[in-house]
Amino acid sequence: MKIDIKHIAKLSRLKIEDDKLEKFEKDMETIVNMVDNMPDVDGPLTLLDEENPMTLREDKAVADKFKREELLANAPEVQAGCLVVPKTVE
Amino acid sequence: MKLYEKTASELSEMLRNKECSAVEICNDVIERIHETEDKVGAYVTVCEESAKENAAAVDKALANGENLHPLAGIPIGIKDNISTKGIKTTCSSRMLENYVPPFNATVMEKVNNAKMTVLGKMNMDEFAMGSSTETSYMHLTRNPHNTECVPGGSSGGSAAAIASGEAVLTLGSDTGGSIRQPAALCGAVGMKPTYGSVSRYGLVAFASSLDQIGPLGKSVKDVAMLQSVICGHDRRDATSKFMEYPDYAAALESNLKGLKIGVPKEYFGEGIDAEVKDSVMKAIKEMESNGAEIKEISLPSTQYAINTYYIIASAEASSNLARFDGVKYGYRAKDYDGLVDMYEKTRSEGFGDEVKRRIMLGTFVLSSGYFDAYYKKAKRVQNRISAEFTDAFKECDIIATPTVPSSAFKIGENIGDPVKMYYNDVCTVTVNIAGLPAISLPCGKDSKNMPMGLQLIGSKFSEQQLLNAAFGYEQICGGFDVLSKSL
Repeated sequence: MKIDIKHIAKLSRLKIEDDKLEKFEKDMETIVNMVDNMPDVDGPLTLLDEENPMTLREDKAVADKFKREELLANAPEVQAGCLVVPKTVE
Repeated sequence: MKLYEKTASELSEMLRNKECSAVEICNDVIERIHETEDKVGAYVTVCEESAKENAAAVDKALANGENLHPLAGIPIGIKDNISTKGIKTTCSSRMLENYVPPFNATVMEKVNNAKMTVLGKMNMDEFAMGSSTETSYMHLTRNPHNTECVPGGSSGGSAAAIASGEAVLTLGSDTGGSIRQPAALCGAVGMKPTYGSVSRYGLVAFASSLDQIGPLGKSVKDVAMLQSVICGHDRRDATSKFMEYPDYAAALESNLKGLKIGVPKEYFGEGIDAEVKDSVMKAIKEMESNGAEIKEISLPSTQYAINTYYIIASAEASSNLARFDGVKYGYRAKDYDGLVDMYEKTRSEGFGDEVKRRIMLGTFVLSSGYFDAYYKKAKRVQNRISAEFTDAFKECDIIATPTVPSSAFKIGENIGDPVKMYYNDVCTVTVNIAGLPAISLPCGKDSKNMPMGLQLIGSKFSEQQLLNAAFGYEQICGGFDVLSKSL
């Protein structure tokens, strides 16, 4: 199958350098060809384990408390206690 | 015999009998790290100071007659995708090169509560995507049994450190074989617990429905002891199972009499190295002569397992890794023009090629027009694979297979061919797809003098039976010879 690598990269919020495009395209085609061999199986779509159901939390704030500085310590850019991002609305 | 050569259970006993101190154990393993780390490269971060502080505190507590956990003061290495408060957690990626978590993963709270000595963070394939630790952004990790070979992956650092004596126990994570495959290639013992038995809170997510943290060590008892530390219900992981978890090490029993071992023919077919087949069959026969019953079984959908795995795991990864956008934490590109350009440059510079391939494969199988043909089909095949295991466990107690199709390959040998690399996981992915527990045990060395692995698979939450069967095989072997002789 032919893969439009530039399109998939765009959907993935990735940029593939021009000199790597060919290699990525070839690899992706090989991988997609590999996973392509799948049988048509009937049956339910979701894998629900009835014996081990998930337990949902109460809709309450988690008790773990963090200081603002702790959480911002890993941020790439901070100003006045806020995360700095490029302008998002034109 | 040096202290680093001993098992955790031996060291635990020596500590109680005052034959050595926790500081002596810690210093001996750190000395071993200094001796061999430039040849092996198992660690991303070594925490010498805090390790020594912990060891000293354990000695003090023992001197005061405090009742400590059996693994208190035992040195442990942690895979670098498990969040450690105040210690860098890089996932061996440029994206998280300088990331210091403000919180501990649940397993780290448990390890710290047991007062184990945390030595540092182990190298891995970037975001746990790989089977050789070659996709690490940090550095190569080498197989201690032959430093020209890979240690396997993605928990390559965790397995290599066991074989080199640079840690007594380690934690890894297993999404498609990432504990068992490197354990097999490094000649260590490694267990992937049942999905839901160990909390994933604080494990950097790769494929959330498949990921599971698990122990690696030199013996079955060591692995059982560590599993008892890390397992248990956790309200912070919605998939965590609420039940009574046994003390696996205390209940360990080597009796194989009457144990029904299923041998699925699909795991011994094409692509499995003849030497591996022979040694795994020999191990099974030995278990038979010690009282086990052997039964040939069939798991026909095994042939679709790799495909199913790469579709589901990549789909989940493409969603999970969307969080790495350069905003709240992690890497951010230097020059960009607007928000979208920042996202794209950050992710393109922060992720390596294998991570990009998997994100793109996941995006592809979830994209409009392909979702039905790939993702939906894979989820149905997942049900089928799971059902086949359920049926098989009506006939047998455990299932025995090879862990990996061959022994460790040379560094660089497969890295250019992703599909060839993916087939390394052919015997291990089914276990994750079905959410089962499985353990890899050393079962001899091949003609290249490299370790091979026997995989035992159990039904859900049957860890005790699985560990007992593994212990039975270990007794037949007279213990495992895990440490490398050639370093």
